[in-house]
Amino acid sequence: MKRNLLILFLFAGVQSFIFGQQPKENKTTTLIIENYTYKAERKTKTAVDHSKFSILQQEFARPQDVTIACLSCHTERHSEIMINNHFSWDRQEKILNHGLISVGKKNVLNNFCVGIGSNEAMCTKCHAGYGWTDTTFNFQAKENIDCLVCHDKTGTYVKGDGGMPTPETDLNKVAQNVGFSTAQNCGSCHFYGGGGNNVKHGDLDKAMLKSDRNLDVHMAKEGEDMSCTECHITENHNITGKLYALSSENTDRVSCEQCHTASPHKKNILNKHTDRVACQTCHIPYYAKANPTKTYWDWSTAGKLDPKGKPIEQKDSLGNVVYFSKKGNFIWGQNIQPEYRWFNGLAGHFLITDTIRSIPVQINILDGSYDDKGTNLRSLAPSKIWPIKIMRGKQPYDLEYKTLLQPKVVGPKGSGAYWADYDWQRSLEKGTTYIHQPFSGQFGFVETEMYWPLNHQVAPANEALSCIDCHVRGEKGRLNALSGFYLPGRDNFPWADYIGIFLVFSTFVGVLIHGGLRIFFKNNNNHN
Amino acid sequence: MKIYIYQIFERVWHWTQAILILFLALTGFEIHSSFTVFGFQRAVKYHDVAAWAFLVLIVFSVFWHFTTGEWRQYRPSLKLIKEQAEYYIFGIFKGAPHPTNKLVYNKFNPLQRIIYLGLNILVIPIMVLSGFAYMFLNYPNTTFQLGSLDLIALIHTLGAFSLITFVIAHIYLTTTGHKPLSAIKAMLTGWEEVDEKSARAMVVNEMEVALKITRARLKTDKGKSEFLDKALEETENKIGVVKEEKFRSVIANSGAGYFRIDKNGLYEEVNNSWVSLYKYDSPDELIGKHYSLSRSAEDFAELEKTFRRVLSGETIPHGEVKRICKDGSCGFHTITLTPVVRNGIIVGVEGFILDTTERRLAEKELLENKIRLESLLKQKEN
Repeated sequence: MKRNLLILFLFAGVQSFIFGQQPKENKTTTLIIENYTYKAERKTKTAVDHSKFSILQQEFARPQDVTIACLSCHTERHSEIMINNHFSWDRQEKILNHGLISVGKKNVLNNFCVGIGSNEAMCTKCHAGYGWTDTTFNFQAKENIDCLVCHDKTGTYVKGDGGMPTPETDLNKVAQNVGFSTAQNCGSCHFYGGGGNNVKHGDLDKAMLKSDRNLDVHMAKEGEDMSCTECHITENHNITGKLYALSSENTDRVSCEQCHTASPHKKNILNKHTDRVACQTCHIPYYAKANPTKTYWDWSTAGKLDPKGKPIEQKDSLGNVVYFSKKGNFIWGQNIQPEYRWFNGLAGHFLITDTIRSIPVQINILDGSYDDKGTNLRSLAPSKIWPIKIMRGKQPYDLEYKTLLQPKVVGPKGSGAYWADYDWQRSLEKGTTYIHQPFSGQFGFVETEMYWPLNHQVAPANEALSCIDCHVRGEKGRLNALSGFYLPGRDNFPWADYIGIFLVFSTFVGVLIHGGLRIFFKNNNNHN
Repeated sequence: MKIYIYQIFERVWHWTQAILILFLALTGFEIHSSFTVFGFQRAVKYHDVAAWAFLVLIVFSVFWHFTTGEWRQYRPSLKLIKEQAEYYIFGIFKGAPHPTNKLVYNKFNPLQRIIYLGLNILVIPIMVLSGFAYMFLNYPNTTFQLGSLDLIALIHTLGAFSLITFVIAHIYLTTTGHKPLSAIKAMLTGWEEVDEKSARAMVVNEMEVALKITRARLKTDKGKSEFLDKALEETENKIGVVKEEKFRSVIANSGAGYFRIDKNGLYEEVNNSWVSLYKYDSPDELIGKHYSLSRSAEDFAELEKTFRRVLSGETIPHGEVKRICKDGSCGFHTITLTPVVRNGIIVGVEGFILDTTERRLAEKELLENKIRLESLLKQKEN
């Protein structure tokens, strides 16, 4: 009896050892606080009141004069801006499939408005400079720098064609009210890429200026109310962080780890995930949470006009434009589940000179795979699973040369600009001629894809993905489409399972038969 | 009959292992997305904890097996393996006896030896190793180049299936013992119900092993056997197995007649078998009477001669003799006579008799038949 009790006791011990360990909730996380000031400690008063400077009290005829005034005190700052992408729109970068090459907005394509060539006046609304309307723009003239777009504190500074402020802008007022850049400044361009709020990135939305925790934990008003530069640490106008739509190298990046470290979780198993899973993957479960983003743009259907020859605009029930004669068909999405790809921090770009070899054309190719573990390969660290907004669409290409084509879309009627004349042939002739691109005259539309890694709109911790969002069999798994590796819970070897089930089942049946026969013979023997 | 076969450690080990294996299977197949019980997250957590518990158990059991020498139980043997397999395929249905006995020092039949050895050195180590690889190399990074988890997961899954298969067969085979539940009861209490044959085999084996160990641990220049005999006698006295009683009980159960006669030739003791062989009603009729009553007058002289020799210290096994029973009829038996020694002095004669009357009669009948047959044959020839 004593022994039996002892056995019972030991079993109970083992059981409670197994079941007694409840997963503990994350109460705190590890944070490295450097170069960061908590909201409570932030100074609201500035040391300098620019309205008191007499040089800023003059009537500015041209915005360039403001820049000259700025530089009269902030001498040499122009040299920092002139090499900055916000002004140069040019990066010398080593890209995967081409080596060292000039990329940046000036040179690469996208599958929104395709490229800036011949369309500068429109595109440079978001150029941190004045007067870039064609190839004659002088990048060496320091007065061409636009200081105000990034440093305006009034919120009244609006840029128009060629990056010039709109005529109603009170330059005097703006110049006297400058300061550190805020999300308002950055957002004035970065929220509106692609021609409208949240259109391009999907995770950069004007709603983030009045964010709550659900939209973006970092920028939430009731939280730390962080501005862009809290993460995109800037020194001497060198702003860290960049996006792979334009960049290619694994340098100068902003990461979650710079504050949160690579092992911020209490649960070790989650910290192990960070070896191969980007923070963003679990912590940005959805994007375009406040406003829709464009996920598909089909240029091939553009050009349908109403009987009067006027452009047509169709909207869906939510008010999103789904057809516009100038641009074609769109698909929008809100609260979108990202797609997931392996990514090691290196990207390739499909240049305007490249030949199409596969469809859809991948305009920026994110490098990485499960097998890329960093050491022996191109990258420095193992590839991680990243959440991506994939922008899909159809855009013009040369049927003969198999290249993507540069259309001219912006211009007055008769200039050949597509948005004025609705003539692809002329638009493409004008565009390609402008950038000296060979064009056979034969064009079609080809499917393209662009990869936009997601970084913003981080959800509260309790909304992060849980195990079964990925570790699950079948369609509902978020990583269902990401192949090339064995993911527990998602993958199995069906044949091995069949063998195993057969083995177990046949043993069970065998045992039943054997036992049945024993009973049968026993009864028979007893009867005899 | 019951024999104590599983020690406390073995039982705790066995059942802990059983629970852990089942629990690991439950959580493991949930991780495999075969079903949902705890939810993936908890399943992983519990699976890991159970795996560590299993490792601790393995450390203990390895230690135990080597310090106790129990590992020898798993040495594979081909002896009787065919018989054992045939028993499960044919014999068991006919109610044939088990070809092997379960002994404390040889618990496993040859099939069990091979299966358990396979589990201990193949399946479980593979499960542990692949499990820990699964646990620690699951995010292959720069320090260790692991292609993918797929091979490890495959091995681990197939191992799990084979363990479940084992468990099913194992549980079923527990019903093939003395009674359907006796093996399970034995694993719970340590005591296994067995038939008499097995019990005896187990007792003999246990004594044999004990003596073998004792002998193996003795080094002496003198005669080993003599020394051991004395030691054994001493042990028996010490633990209360009095030789005489033992002797008597052996005789009582053997069907042999026992008698003891004092120096003067008077019966001191006879057992029931002796009484019935001589067709008396009770030993009381004989105690104190002279042994001459057991023989015819002409045979007594020979017996008396033998009696004298025994009193002088000889032990005499005698051939067949004729006895005179109470009713005057005769019977036949063989007899052995030994001196009774007390405090170094011969005080009488004792011995036992084995009845041979039936054999005698059978032989007689055989002879008669033979004669009849021969005469019949002769008639036929004529």
